Amino acid sequence: MTTDINRRRFLRGAAGAAAATGFLQINPDFFISSAFAASGKPMTFLSAENITGNWDPTAHTTLSQKNIEGFVMGFLTRTPMRLDNPGAVNYELATSITLLDPHRLEIKLRQDIVFHDGKPLKAEDVKATFEYGALPDRPAQWYPGPTETLTITTPDDYTVIVDTSKGGYPAHLFIFLASFLPIMSAKDIAEGPGGVLSQRLNGTGPFKFVAQQGNDTVLEAFDGYFKGKPAIPTIHFTFVGDSTTRMLSLMNGQASIVERLEPEQVATLESNPAISINKVVSVENKYLWFRCSKPPFDDPRVRMAACHAIDRAQILEVLGSAGHASANFVSPVKFGYIDLPNYPQYDPDKCQALLAEAGFPKGEGLPPLEYITSVGFYPKTKEYGEIIAAMLQEQGFPVSLTVLEPAAWNERLYDRPGGGPGHMVDCGWSTASPEPDLVLRTHFHSSSHRITGIVDKDLDASLDKERAAPTLEARQKILQEETMPLLASKMPALSLFTSVMIHAMQKDFVGLYIYPDGSMDASATA
Amino acid sequence: MFVMNFLIRRLAQGVVIIFLVSLLIFTLLRVVPGDPVRMMAGGMAPEALIEQIAKDMGLRDPILVQFGRYATRVVQGDLGQSFVRPANGAATGGATFNDSSRGERAKVLDLIIDALPMTLQLAALALAFALTFSGLVGIAGGLAPGRWPDKLAFYISSIFISLPNFWLGIVLTLLLSVKLGWLPAIGYNGFGYTILPAIILAVELSPVLIRTLTSSIAAQMGASYVAVGTVRGLSRSRIIANHALRNASVPLLNLLGIQFSGLLGGVVIVEYIFDYPGLGLLTINAVLQRDFPLIQGIAIVTSAIFVLINILVDLAATSIDPRLEY
Repeated sequence: MTTDINRRRFLRGAAGAAAATGFLQINPDFFISSAFAASGKPMTFLSAENITGNWDPTAHTTLSQKNIEGFVMGFLTRTPMRLDNPGAVNYELATSITLLDPHRLEIKLRQDIVFHDGKPLKAEDVKATFEYGALPDRPAQWYPGPTETLTITTPDDYTVIVDTSKGGYPAHLFIFLASFLPIMSAKDIAEGPGGVLSQRLNGTGPFKFVAQQGNDTVLEAFDGYFKGKPAIPTIHFTFVGDSTTRMLSLMNGQASIVERLEPEQVATLESNPAISINKVVSVENKYLWFRCSKPPFDDPRVRMAACHAIDRAQILEVLGSAGHASANFVSPVKFGYIDLPNYPQYDPDKCQALLAEAGFPKGEGLPPLEYITSVGFYPKTKEYGEIIAAMLQEQGFPVSLTVLEPAAWNERLYDRPGGGPGHMVDCGWSTASPEPDLVLRTHFHSSSHRITGIVDKDLDASLDKERAAPTLEARQKILQEETMPLLASKMPALSLFTSVMIHAMQKDFVGLYIYPDGSMDASATA
Repeated sequence: MFVMNFLIRRLAQGVVIIFLVSLLIFTLLRVVPGDPVRMMAGGMAPEALIEQIAKDMGLRDPILVQFGRYATRVVQGDLGQSFVRPANGAATGGATFNDSSRGERAKVLDLIIDALPMTLQLAALALAFALTFSGLVGIAGGLAPGRWPDKLAFYISSIFISLPNFWLGIVLTLLLSVKLGWLPAIGYNGFGYTILPAIILAVELSPVLIRTLTSSIAAQMGASYVAVGTVRGLSRSRIIANHALRNASVPLLNLLGIQFSGLLGGVVIVEYIFDYPGLGLLTINAVLQRDFPLIQGIAIVTSAIFVLINILVDLAATSIDPRLEY
């Protein structure tokens, strides 16, 4: 083979050398834009849950969308809901909320608030919000009674009187809801369902809604925010379904904050000096819901037997830092929480005695039982589901565990005529307010019974009684001494533990206040 | 004339294939568990409402009647509307169907048109990476059968084929994005976001390409025309570039058509891991949400792409080697 240099070889070599030199000269950033956010750059929040596609706040109960509303919308009050002071209230749009009498509540508003579209906040907006949100056809159904049970007057532009006399329920129910109900513009509401409300968010919060780009919700700091323009200029609130993807995105600096970390991921991230972990006991309890409208769990003795078969300490061990021990049907950060003395503990002897009393000694005669759970959204559901199934089987319950992806699980979650699918379902329930009825009445009153299907006159009477209590003090007493103990004697669901909301964030974002429902306060000014 | 006959015949066959795929997907979606109406209406919707919606949407009619209705619209270019996605394209959940304030649903065709270029960009880059790498390793291996380049090609393809793509995706993200900071990884905010997922797909594609190239080049180099070429005074590089490679590319071309279907499968996993907004991510979300019209639309479009690519591959192979008849 010849090695002589000829014209062709020279040209080929020269072209190759030129290309190599050119490559070294080209800034690779021309092809690859940096993924790394410097401080002062937009905040990217990766959400574990998708949104509904309808921006009307009364059209959904979806947590991720509530979190977006937390940035954009204004609330009369905000409740930090911390274990050491669950009842603390910070006034936001309201300057005072006063109970004039058991059926009349006076709300005084700040006078320097404007909506993102420029309209000043006035009493008419609060009135319109309450009246619209309480319409029976609004899917969220957060209000204590339908619109016709409310009389709302506005003596002046900044005073609202809520009168619940027609409904017969106390006006103080609106005190806790004040921190939960986003205030909408009367102008938007006037367009009705299907109008501008469903197309975009318009609030008085620190960030204004800009656009929905695929799975990315874009928010921008609002110049006219009454506490001053936030230091964070832009928020990208993005749905990313996979938890590993969310974690990797945080680790490479693309994401600023990620939510719903698995305990193992916490261990990985805790050793990373650039990342900070935030844990907060949440408003969410996780439950084992019994289908109470069909055998065998229509018998409270069988439900109680199942509760005595389950050792909740083992479940907490599996959960690690993602679980917090509690012994009630609501979270410890909710109004009225106590550790219930009669909350069923792990006790195989009691379990067997109750099974025998119900006619199923050692579980004999029980039909095959299906326990439905999900995988991919809540941490460790499959792992502790297997433990619960094993513990129930040990006591003679013929249980099989069905693990479904969230959409299929969601489709089987709720009660239906004749009882919902399966016999037991795993699900959490989270509402961003100290109001306990958002859990208790929603699930255990026969007018709602969303998952359990329970219809029980005693429970209805007790839930009606606590709701009708004239003062918060009287209500707390009834809740703690009557309603909650009564629930613990009937156990339509076993609250397994309270979730710990775990967020991980870049160190630049340490200091953001994260509420126990996962929403956050990013309004700090520069 | 040959090309016209070929195209007419193969396109007619392609239409039949797409029709059968559509019918199969349409039927399977309706017999698997998971009622899409329940998903749309929300878990709390009463049974009567569920049945009413299902009847209104024709979902309780016999499957063939439903398919006939659907196929008629598809022929007119209407792939229908998503059951759950709003017009802005966000993945959604938790809405209630009977909510009068529910926004307009997205057109399936629009969702696919938005996502398809992203996937084609990813697939093209992956193919470019795979062909470049496989070409270097495979040709070197084929030119030196039994010696170290051949062994190296064998080892590389053995290792690559053993790497699960979801695992490799996580490891390379940790290495190239988290540790070294060379490449962005999650989501899409510019061309750079395509590189890492394309590398993962290229690793998945390369083993078969390398083995095919190695063996076909080795076979061509042992053929008598190569020996005759040397006698005719042609240089080795000319024999390889102009003759051996050209002949060895026919099996490679056929393989590429098949590999493309594998690539579409791999794209689903890789796009999910990297949150890459292409057809794969759209497919996963559509399946998780039982979004029947979207799943059907994606199936029709991907089968059409598959058919077209195989027609093009066969056409290219025929033009390289006129003895081939497809």
